[in-house]
Amino acid sequence: MPEGMTLRSGNNQATESLCPHCLTRIPAERRLEGADVVLVKSCPEHGEFRTPVWRGQPEISGWSRPKKTVRVGTHLASQARGCPFDCGICPGHRQQSCTVLIEVTGRCNLACPYCFAAAGSPAGQDPPLAAIEQWYRIALERSGPHNIVQLSGGEATLRDDLPAVIALGRELGFPFIQLNSNGLRLAADPAYAVELKRAGLFSVFLQFDGSDDSIYRAIRGRALLAEKLTAIENCAAAGLGVVLVPTIVAGVNTEDIGAILRLALELAPGVRGVHFQPASYFGRHPGAPAAGDRFTLPDLMRAIEEQTSGLMRTEHFCPPGCEHPLCSFHGNFLRLPDGGLRSLTAAAAECATENAGTGRAVAYVARQWSAPAPASSCCPANSLDAFLENHHSNTFAVSAMAFQDVWNLDLERVQECCIHVVAPDGRMIPFCLYNLTSADGQPLHRGNAC
Amino acid sequence: MNLPGEAQGWICAACGGELEMMKVGFTYMKGNFEVDLPACRNCGLVLVSEELATGKMADAERILEDK
Repeated sequence: MPEGMTLRSGNNQATESLCPHCLTRIPAERRLEGADVVLVKSCPEHGEFRTPVWRGQPEISGWSRPKKTVRVGTHLASQARGCPFDCGICPGHRQQSCTVLIEVTGRCNLACPYCFAAAGSPAGQDPPLAAIEQWYRIALERSGPHNIVQLSGGEATLRDDLPAVIALGRELGFPFIQLNSNGLRLAADPAYAVELKRAGLFSVFLQFDGSDDSIYRAIRGRALLAEKLTAIENCAAAGLGVVLVPTIVAGVNTEDIGAILRLALELAPGVRGVHFQPASYFGRHPGAPAAGDRFTLPDLMRAIEEQTSGLMRTEHFCPPGCEHPLCSFHGNFLRLPDGGLRSLTAAAAECATENAGTGRAVAYVARQWSAPAPASSCCPANSLDAFLENHHSNTFAVSAMAFQDVWNLDLERVQECCIHVVAPDGRMIPFCLYNLTSADGQPLHRGNAC
Repeated sequence: MNLPGEAQGWICAACGGELEMMKVGFTYMKGNFEVDLPACRNCGLVLVSEELATGKMADAERILEDK
């Protein structure tokens, strides 16, 4: 899509999706119902499915941002069955990578009731370093070095050679290597964060679902808050930027969103921002979601405004300049000395600037998610140098990404995805498709060689 | 960058005056800064070096313009 997506009454939009049960590709429609957008699709064999994908204000009709379609990289030559089956990426894809995920282990030291990767026990075989090198080279060849490379799993820190994995990526030319982690090892050993920093890591995407242990018990299976806070402390001391990543589950931590943001602001500038991820129903999850289980992006924006007493407001958030408008929002804030916040997003021409796509998004994220420079008193307060230092240390980013599962899958959104996983067989597959599982847990791509 | 010697040897293209280091105010999207730059002592025309324009000023512009 939609260069300049709009959805108005009487202008329902056709797209395609999959049947949640048989994974057959079926027509779908985004229907505007009042202020909501509902994805409606019907399988000849399994019936109709309706999933809310946008609920209420801000209105979907104004939620878009001009951007450029990009077709780059090495695409697979043939499309026998088409999207999403011949993924890898195919010629129909309209966005380059801005983030490339490499799964360095399938092992995990938690057994979360929600896990996109359905990751397993601490035992098991990890891919050898030579395989990871091959995946790095594939990502380099197809998308170039200026991506965020996110090392993921399972829990990547279970690999004792993770520093070598990071160093290898840096040697191959990736400047921005980020770790996706639950933080347990980072909490247990302060020297570990230092070791990862020395190896070339720039930031940690830290699973952080709430400010209360009852939330961790519900989503992760046990109390974790103290370990999370220690992990943040150790990362900050080592000079690693930390982004808190809450999985938002309706009715579990939807009332804790303001508390998460307040805690994150207290922990800034070591904590560089919060990246919310409303729960998706793929991999391991408690079961098929009801409409009330869906916490859409506008639900989240309004919750942020209500629960921060207006410190952060809906109008401070922008649609993405990289992925599809229904997939994310972001807002940037400057922390002020009096404890207040100033929105930087609202000053930015009301989000209307045309975006050059992934390149600028990567440059922004790399700057914002890395650790702040040590404070200095180099220069007069109103100088350009002081402005740059102040903004780097005190800018706080709030963003969210709405991943898709088999119920709300919209192939148009997938075709604009810029977050790609390097599959073990070398295909690069949009994150949501790679992790997508049918209603009975059958994966579309994960574990299936081409 | 911004050394006193930076102004030496330049003549203003607009009025022919000599340049000297001055405190110059910039305003961009509600951001205000002061930078010491070579400027014409007669008419105030400012010389912005390529290094400054593509370096720190570009960084500030990116911050103010957002992602």
